[in-house]
Amino acid sequence: MKNGRGRTSQQRQRRREFLIKTAGGALVTTALAAFPLRLRAAEPVNIGALYPVTGSMAQIGQGCVNAAKLAVQMVNDAGGIKSLGGAKLNLIVSDVQSDTTVTRTETDRLINGYKLAAIHGCFASALTLIASEVAERAKVPLITGSSSDQLNKDRHYTFTPFARASQFAQAQLQMSKLVSDKPKVAVIFENTAFGTSTSNGLREKAPAEGVEIVMFEPYSAGFADAGPLINKVKASGADALFSVSYLNDLILIVRTIKQVGLKIALNGGSGGFVIPDFYKSVGTLAEGLQGVAHWNHDCSAEAEKVNAVYKKQYGEFLFEYAGGLVAQTFMLADALERAASTDPEKVRDALAALDVSSGYAAMGPGGRVKFGPDGKNIYAHPVGVQWQNGDLASVFPKDDARAPLVKT
Amino acid sequence: MLATLAQAVVNGLLIGGIYALVSIGVTLIFGVVKIVNFAQGEFVMIGMYISFFLATRYGIDPLLSLAVSMPVLFLIGVALQHFLIRRVLGLSDMPQIFLTFALSLLLMNLALLLFTANYRTVQTPYSDSALYLGPLYIPVAKLIAFVLAMALSAALWVFLHATDMGKAMRAAAQKPEVAMLMGINTNRVFCVAVGVSLALAGAAGSLLMPFYPASPMAGQVFVLMAFVAVVLGTLGNVKGALVASLMMGVAESLGIQFVGADSGLIVVFLMLLLTLAFRPSGLAGGAAR
Amino acid sequence: MMRGLRHTGVLWLLLLAAVMLALPLVVTSRFAVDIFIRVLLFAFIGVAWNLMGGYAKQLSLGHAAYFGLGAYTSTILQIRFGISPWIGMFAGGVVAMAASLPIGALCFRLRGPYFAIATIATAQVLMLLFLKFRDFAWGAEGTTIPNLGNAPLMMQFDAKAAYYYIALGLLALGLAITYRIERSWVGYYLVAIGEDEDAAEAIGVNALRIKRDIYLVSAFLTALAGTFYVQYIYFIDPATAFSFNISVEAALVSIVGGIGTLWGPVIGTVLLESTSALLQSWLGGSLGGVQLTVYSLILIVVILWRPTGLLGVFTEAYRRIVHARPAPASEAVIDG
Repeated sequence: MKNGRGRTSQQRQRRREFLIKTAGGALVTTALAAFPLRLRAAEPVNIGALYPVTGSMAQIGQGCVNAAKLAVQMVNDAGGIKSLGGAKLNLIVSDVQSDTTVTRTETDRLINGYKLAAIHGCFASALTLIASEVAERAKVPLITGSSSDQLNKDRHYTFTPFARASQFAQAQLQMSKLVSDKPKVAVIFENTAFGTSTSNGLREKAPAEGVEIVMFEPYSAGFADAGPLINKVKASGADALFSVSYLNDLILIVRTIKQVGLKIALNGGSGGFVIPDFYKSVGTLAEGLQGVAHWNHDCSAEAEKVNAVYKKQYGEFLFEYAGGLVAQTFMLADALERAASTDPEKVRDALAALDVSSGYAAMGPGGRVKFGPDGKNIYAHPVGVQWQNGDLASVFPKDDARAPLVKT
Repeated sequence: MLATLAQAVVNGLLIGGIYALVSIGVTLIFGVVKIVNFAQGEFVMIGMYISFFLATRYGIDPLLSLAVSMPVLFLIGVALQHFLIRRVLGLSDMPQIFLTFALSLLLMNLALLLFTANYRTVQTPYSDSALYLGPLYIPVAKLIAFVLAMALSAALWVFLHATDMGKAMRAAAQKPEVAMLMGINTNRVFCVAVGVSLALAGAAGSLLMPFYPASPMAGQVFVLMAFVAVVLGTLGNVKGALVASLMMGVAESLGIQFVGADSGLIVVFLMLLLTLAFRPSGLAGGAAR
Repeated sequence: MMRGLRHTGVLWLLLLAAVMLALPLVVTSRFAVDIFIRVLLFAFIGVAWNLMGGYAKQLSLGHAAYFGLGAYTSTILQIRFGISPWIGMFAGGVVAMAASLPIGALCFRLRGPYFAIATIATAQVLMLLFLKFRDFAWGAEGTTIPNLGNAPLMMQFDAKAAYYYIALGLLALGLAITYRIERSWVGYYLVAIGEDEDAAEAIGVNALRIKRDIYLVSAFLTALAGTFYVQYIYFIDPATAFSFNISVEAALVSIVGGIGTLWGPVIGTVLLESTSALLQSWLGGSLGGVQLTVYSLILIVVILWRPTGLLGVFTEAYRRIVHARPAPASEAVIDG
């Protein structure tokens, strides 16, 4: 009571803490609110691009971003969107860090911070599922090459111009019959969204294709050693192996098969198998290996043209997902032309009405894009590819084959 | 059936040897400096990149590059102890753990910045070949890695028990105050301990290059297994870490073979939890050597 | 005099509450509100962790186990049985509490790093189990929650502010519980156990029981956060739900902010999340790895500079600013 303020030190401590919290909160708020998050995009058309530039999928993500920038440049150099007075496309890239939470918040941030006409992303099915969910609720159209069949369920704003996981499965099964009459197939897949959706398709369609599946096992992605897994494959007596994996595991699988001296036909599916890095990592071991892809650079003259430009700039061929997203950019440009507006709702409707069979927008197996009511391209189908002389050649089905299948 | 089982055991042992090299390093640091190094995997990664660059620029075989990666990492270890770890000694384990954790994050992302995320592989004449013993096949590169890993572990053992510095380390590990009274310069001992530990990590990296691709995240897989092995074998116990690593390699391999290809890790973790349930200080009990 | 003091403390609290309640109404940027929600949520998780890790010094690096259990429980109940996540949230908490009993029984006999690594292992095992048993909980593909638009009864809202207020409520709950525990005999025992468990046992504290009880509370609260999180990001899969990063963040915010203090986790989260968000928007589009490199450098500097947490820095700064004036006359009289 004699003491001037009559407080205990503990109470002073608490008061200090309250003040600090308030002051800190106010500081942070002011700092953040000062961010210029709303772009006055009168002229340029904002397109969001969400890719994993860091994290486990970094090299593919970086390649995708490169292709996205190239595509936008191509559209702009050709005059931009003429129905909008030559408006240029403005690409807004965000790194989703190969992480689901970051994808969620970044999709939101892009949609709310910029006046987006459309979005494309995210390469990995697991990430795209989230982005598409957010886009659906925000009513912004999203176009993607990701293969998960779930992307077409209950969606009005998601468009998938390329083959679905179930179609990949069928193609893989058919290709195995090119090698042997009654193939006995071992299926190994990583326990991720990509692995499970593709492998489910394999299991469902195998009986109809006359293929016997003798082993069907998920494995933990990112293992240290493929030895135990390949040992199991060997014990199953399979003569063909379907592996649904990203790159790091594929490298180990391919090398271990060689080490073990296992004579087995490997179909590496899609994902990490169809990128230049795969060849760089396993070298001549890749020769003759077959896989499937939703896009390949030899599918049309336009594709080869883009490939040449990309190769000149980045030193490696334009891989599946990246090439696909160049086509997607042109599909968006086509939709914007017809919509003559940057209103996402109008763009969405224009995409739904898309029907192209020429030009860069139609690059891809089948050469035609038209969306059904569920957002799937009714003409989409995968191509079987084979590594030949350090590059990927389309070898299956007949109409899409650009090079003969090399028998190993 | 028996052949499959035998092969599974062989596979497990071979990769277990690599786990051992990494886990011995972790347990050494813990035993002497009493700090858990969450960044150990990143030093393996650095070893991998050193060997990769030597192989691609100068054509030096990764096994020969041990002569470079080990000393380089030893020096990094000394610097790490002298400049960073020393400042958090004597604090509670929380800031220590998070310091090494932050360091791990830093190294991974620096590697990403400098080297990009592309996978880097090295092809050696023996990368794809294997020895055949009846129905068993033993990949040559992995066998060499295993043999050298065991040799390095043995060398460490000799170092700890037969050299003055080694004995000083064990003394500092067991009773740091007494060791100081006996005239042992604890900081110098710690520097050597961390240096040796990181050198072992670097060795693991070099030994991995003939058959494993390098990337910024490459160390993560190994560090997880190393930590489980260290705890399983009792923290600070070098022999324990070695034995536990081999056991874990085999358990993982058997798990994949007979339970399910995605069950390797579950088996290992369950092994850990079960062991801790009955022996809270790990298999070797309370002994710190 | 004393009564006036208590009023002042309460006044500050009311002021703080008023600011926090008004914030989403004042700030128009949805991105900023997103950050606030993240801050509130992770502060809450940090507060839940702090009960065990900060006061009793049980360094758990596996709290994601409870986060994930909470998230999956409410999601399974919602999608398979149509039960509202409000109820599911509570159910998730109960499930987490039940899980904490055997996990605690196993882990509490372990000390220091053993305990930490065992907790990491439990979270990882749960993740692997959820990945493996696909029919039960969607496996690796995970699931999105059904799009119900604006459905407050099912914890889905169009307005972001709603999520903000829920997160704020959770944080307030966590702080209130911590406050009560801090001032109760349980709180004293917790600190005693944290300082020296053997000595505490020697003077008759039943350490095992106290640890078990506080673990129940900590697990329950963490599970609530898990449910909220699923409702907020619309998606769940084992890798996200049992993510090691969540376990780390739960501990990190307390360590950076001030372990074993009421406001420590909050300060830590504000600083860490703002730094991370700023770095993301500033450097996120550039070279891969830049932002995390900077972030980890900052972390290292902070840990080296203030190993016990930054709360001490602020209180010191406050003391220096506020107490810069000469001491009141009455103090001199007492000293004299």
